[in-house]
Amino acid sequence: MSPFSSETIFGEAADWNVWDVNTRVGPSGPNGQLSMDASALLGEMSRFYIQRAVTAHWTGVEYDANVGNEKLAVINEERLIPAWTPLPDEESIEQLAARRPVAVRLMPRNLNHSWTVTPWCAGDLLDYLAQHRIVTLVAREDIEWQSLIDVLENFPQLPLVLLDIGYRFDHYLVPLLRRFPSLHFDCATYLAYRQLENFVDRYGPDQLLYGSRLPLFTAATSLGVLASARIADDARLAIAGGNLRRLVGAAAPGAVA
Amino acid sequence: MMRSPIPVMDAHGHLRLHVRFPYKTEPDQMLEVMDALNIEALAVTASLACWNDAPNGNIEVDEVLRKHGNRFRGYITVNPHVQGEALRELERWSHFHNPPLIKLHPSAHQCPANSPKYDAIWDYANQTGAVVLVHTWDSHAMCNPLMFPAIAKAHPQANILLGHSGVTWRGYEQAQEAATAAPNIYLELSGSQRNRTMLERCVNRLGAERIVYGSDMPALDPAGTLADVFTAKISDDDKEEILRYNFLRLLGES
Repeated sequence: MSPFSSETIFGEAADWNVWDVNTRVGPSGPNGQLSMDASALLGEMSRFYIQRAVTAHWTGVEYDANVGNEKLAVINEERLIPAWTPLPDEESIEQLAARRPVAVRLMPRNLNHSWTVTPWCAGDLLDYLAQHRIVTLVAREDIEWQSLIDVLENFPQLPLVLLDIGYRFDHYLVPLLRRFPSLHFDCATYLAYRQLENFVDRYGPDQLLYGSRLPLFTAATSLGVLASARIADDARLAIAGGNLRRLVGAAAPGAVA
Repeated sequence: MMRSPIPVMDAHGHLRLHVRFPYKTEPDQMLEVMDALNIEALAVTASLACWNDAPNGNIEVDEVLRKHGNRFRGYITVNPHVQGEALRELERWSHFHNPPLIKLHPSAHQCPANSPKYDAIWDYANQTGAVVLVHTWDSHAMCNPLMFPAIAKAHPQANILLGHSGVTWRGYEQAQEAATAAPNIYLELSGSQRNRTMLERCVNRLGAERIVYGSDMPALDPAGTLADVFTAKISDDDKEEILRYNFLRLLGES
C-alpha cells in the first residue's frame, strides 16, 4: 500500500461518521472546471470518508432558486441532504414547506435572489424556518454582520450555520457564538495555525461543524486540519459529524403554520 | 493523527504572528506541531520584519537559529524603502545560510516587486545564487505572479519562490504562466484556498520539480496544505519531491 494512500493518511476517519455541512452539486458558470454531478460528488466524499453531506444546487445559487430546487429534488440520493434555496415570498415559502425541508441555504445578497433578512422582508420565511428548526446555512459573504445579528436576535430558535467564515474573523465570530447558542459555523476555511484547537480549548466543540466546501476545495484540507488537531476524541467526533446530526435530528419539517 | 510518511522540508514559515488569536506560536511550540506532522525543518522569516521592522525581525531569526539551528532555516527579510538598509542586512546576516535565503513582502511593504528599489537586492541574489521567497497574490498591484518572469530572466542565478503561488485559482494560473516563462521560478504551495485539482494541474504543466511545499505557519495550519499534497492524484515520487527534495536541492543540502 502506498504510504500516501487515503487509508494510510485518513483511515481513522472511517470511524468518525463524517457529515459535511458545506457542499454544492450540479453545473456552475464561474466554477465550471470544478463542478460535480451527484455521482462525482459522492465519489469524492467516499475518497475522504464523508458519509453524508448537506448540499445546495449551483443552479439555485447562480441562476434561479426554483429551478435549482427542482434539480435538487430529482437527485434523491440518501447520502445527500438537500439544502433548498428559499425565497421570502408567500408562494415560495409554501413550495418550500411542501418539500418538508431539513436544511436550506440562504443567499439574500445574490443579485438573482435579492432580498434582505430583515423581518419586514423575510419575517415569514425566517419564522417558518425557526419554528421547524430547519438547519439554515448562510455563507459569510452572503450576509452582513449586522443582518446576521438581527436574525439571531429576532429568531433565537433558528439553527443558523455560518459557512466559509475564513480564518481572520475570530474577533467577530467568538462574541456572537457566546451570545447566541443557536449560531454554528463550519471549518472549511477555518484554517489558521492551531485555530480549531484553540477554539475547542476555549469554547468547546458544540458550535463547530465539519465542512469541506466541495467541490471547490479539496476535502483533504479541512479533514487534515481536523485529523491533526490536538483535541479530545469526543470533540473531534462531535465536529466531524455529531453536531450536524444533532441539528438535523432536531429539524421538524412541516406545513406553514 | 495524520503524519507525513517522509520528513518534510517546509519552505515558508514565520516567527510569531501577533494578530487575530495567536495560540501557542512560540518556536518551541511550533516544534511540537512539526514533530507531530513529521516536518523536519522550517524556513522562517520574522513577521515583525515583513510588516514593520526588518532589522529587529532579523534579530529574532538569528536567536531562533542559534537555539534550534537544525530545525529552522532563516530568511533575511529586507525592506526596500530604507536606503542602504537592505544590503546592510544581507551582509550582516550572511551567516544564516549559504546560499542566502531572502524574503520579500511587496504588499506588506507597499512596494511593487518590479520597483527599482529592489534592484540592488535582486543583483545581490543573482550574485550569490540566493533563494528568494516573495509573497504573491492574484493580480495584485504589488506582487502579481506575472511580474516575475522579467525579474527572473534578468537574474538567472537567483531562484525565486512564488509564495502562495498567487493564492486563488486565477493566481495559480498566473503563477504557472510565470514559471513556464522562466526556469528559476518555483511555486510555493502555502495558502488558505486549496482548490481541488489545482496541484495536479500544476504538476502536469510544470513538473513536480518546480513545486515546493510551504505551510505559512504560524499563520496557517500546516496540516491543510500537507493533506492536499498527500492526497493529490499525482505519483508518490512527485509528492516526495514536493514535500522534501526540491527544497533541499534549492538549499544546497541534498
